[in-house]
Amino acid sequence: MSAISPLREDDNEFATLVRVICGGVFAIWLREVKRAFRDRGQLFGGFSRPIMWVVIMGVGLNPYFRGEVYGEVRFVVPYTYLQFIFPAVIALNILYTSVQAAVSVIWDREFGFLREVLVSPMPRPFILFGKVLGGATVAMFHGSLALVLSYFADVPISSSDILSGLGLMFLLAFGLTSLGVIIANRIRSFEGFGVFSNAVILPLYFCSSSVFPLDPALTAAQTRVVYPDWLVRVVELNPLTYAVDSLRGNFIHFYQFDPRLGPVIMAGMAVLFFGIALAEFRRN
Amino acid sequence: MTSNSSRQSAAFAFSETAGVEVDGLVKRYGTLLALDHVSFNVKSGELFALLGPNGAGKTTLLHILCTILSPDEGRALIAGADVVQQALRARRRLGVVFQEPSLHDRLTVYENLEFHGLVCGVPAELRRKRIDEMLQVVELSDWRERLVRTLSVGMKRRLEIARALIHDSRVLFLDEPTVGLDAQSRARIWRYLHELRQQRQLTLIVTTHYIEEVEQADRVAIIDQGKLLAIDTPSALKSAHGHEVLEVSPINVDVRAEILAQHSGQIVKTSDHHITLKVEDGRFIETFLSAYGSRVRAMTRIEPSLESVFLALTGRAIRDQEASARERTLAFGKQGGEHTR
Repeated sequence: MSAISPLREDDNEFATLVRVICGGVFAIWLREVKRAFRDRGQLFGGFSRPIMWVVIMGVGLNPYFRGEVYGEVRFVVPYTYLQFIFPAVIALNILYTSVQAAVSVIWDREFGFLREVLVSPMPRPFILFGKVLGGATVAMFHGSLALVLSYFADVPISSSDILSGLGLMFLLAFGLTSLGVIIANRIRSFEGFGVFSNAVILPLYFCSSSVFPLDPALTAAQTRVVYPDWLVRVVELNPLTYAVDSLRGNFIHFYQFDPRLGPVIMAGMAVLFFGIALAEFRRN
Repeated sequence: MTSNSSRQSAAFAFSETAGVEVDGLVKRYGTLLALDHVSFNVKSGELFALLGPNGAGKTTLLHILCTILSPDEGRALIAGADVVQQALRARRRLGVVFQEPSLHDRLTVYENLEFHGLVCGVPAELRRKRIDEMLQVVELSDWRERLVRTLSVGMKRRLEIARALIHDSRVLFLDEPTVGLDAQSRARIWRYLHELRQQRQLTLIVTTHYIEEVEQADRVAIIDQGKLLAIDTPSALKSAHGHEVLEVSPINVDVRAEILAQHSGQIVKTSDHHITLKVEDGRFIETFLSAYGSRVRAMTRIEPSLESVFLALTGRAIRDQEASARERTLAFGKQGGEHTR
């Protein structure tokens, strides 16, 4: 056996801490990203989901999207259904991947990884930060996979749209991954991803004005004529609604709400959910 | 000359504080007292074994020393760093090999070590050097670029040991490092540990229930119900608490009944074919032989072992705990949910 390197004496405490935090956040982020790209099932989902929604559902419903209520054309919708649903599909992909990343927290907790970092000199908050950052990056990537279908959806995208879109996607992904971590913390026995999909992802998605416009005539009064009150209320209360609206504004320049609302609510979600997740993580 | 002597004195000062000090540790879970004022010291470079049945407090103790749990009372120092007040510093000085697998399955051998090095703040150059060295020590250099999920159980364990030494760990905790491994892999792991111990002044704290592994420890601590029952070298423990026994097989049931009646006070255990008697003094074997020499089929004199020390102190056999670790491994396999790992 060859000689091994001698032990290093402690150097500057502060320099060590900075090195641990920077290196550690990077390592945890990189692990999340590598792991996601090596998971073929997850990648397949990231590709197939937008294809299903845009090419099948979008194309299928496209002819029926005409502002027609009970057989009578009452208003003119300035967008095709494909264009309308396209930004929402991005949000759906982010939603799935963020929650999937958060589910891995359960595995980390049960099988090792978390223990390994808990006995490392990484301060706790940065462990969670690295984890959420990694999950959000992967989710943002999956969200941007949908952009490939922009041609089919007849959505012209400029490079500045892509840049601002990526920013919005990341903000949304960060908040949703944190939310996923909060939920995962409450799960003691893990029975599979299906529960998450049915209990969290789909309700949030369908109630976010993703597959139908809340107000096709662009008037608040019209909304209540077309849809029952409770549905309108649920959609308005769903924070994801404003994220979808923001993405829609970014890609097809159609806002149902005040354009400032989206980024503010997304940033609020990111801060609030990460804060809660962090408080819980420190307590355990 | 001066620099040489100062280096020596620095090394001396360092080894003085490189061990583990445990002082009056108490941990309660509700009303259950998991650790009851446990105190001991482990010297730098020592191989220290923790022995105790399931639920004895071994894991709780280990988790406190690894800074995962905090104690209710008392304190512990790892290489001079307090595990509560200076947790981050203590963590830079300790390495852990957990009982349950804790590697990243979807990362390669190299990536696992790199991850650990980054998380522990090992500077880039030293990190690369250590990874190469440690892979060589545990003979996994050829497996560097392989995904960890393709490794055998023994190889994974070796990788975990290598990982715990990528940073400047002075104290290495090993929780059942050889459980579930075949004899050859176990011997291999111990060879690496002994080599590393010499080269790096490493303090090793090990829990195991392979009695032959405990025998090679410098000192053994026996824990039960949260209390430290005994702490000494294996030979001192054996002479203090162990006893020599005589295992005899009587030729028929009459002889068996006679021996059982005559030596009722010395019976350690009985089975269908054997009676195990405690050897109380040097002359016992002689007198026993003259009385029953022609009426026993076989007779074996058994030297005191740590197994008998353990039995004498806790009233339980060490082997009792083995099921649990295996159960956990089995449960792990059954879960099989690799998809999200």
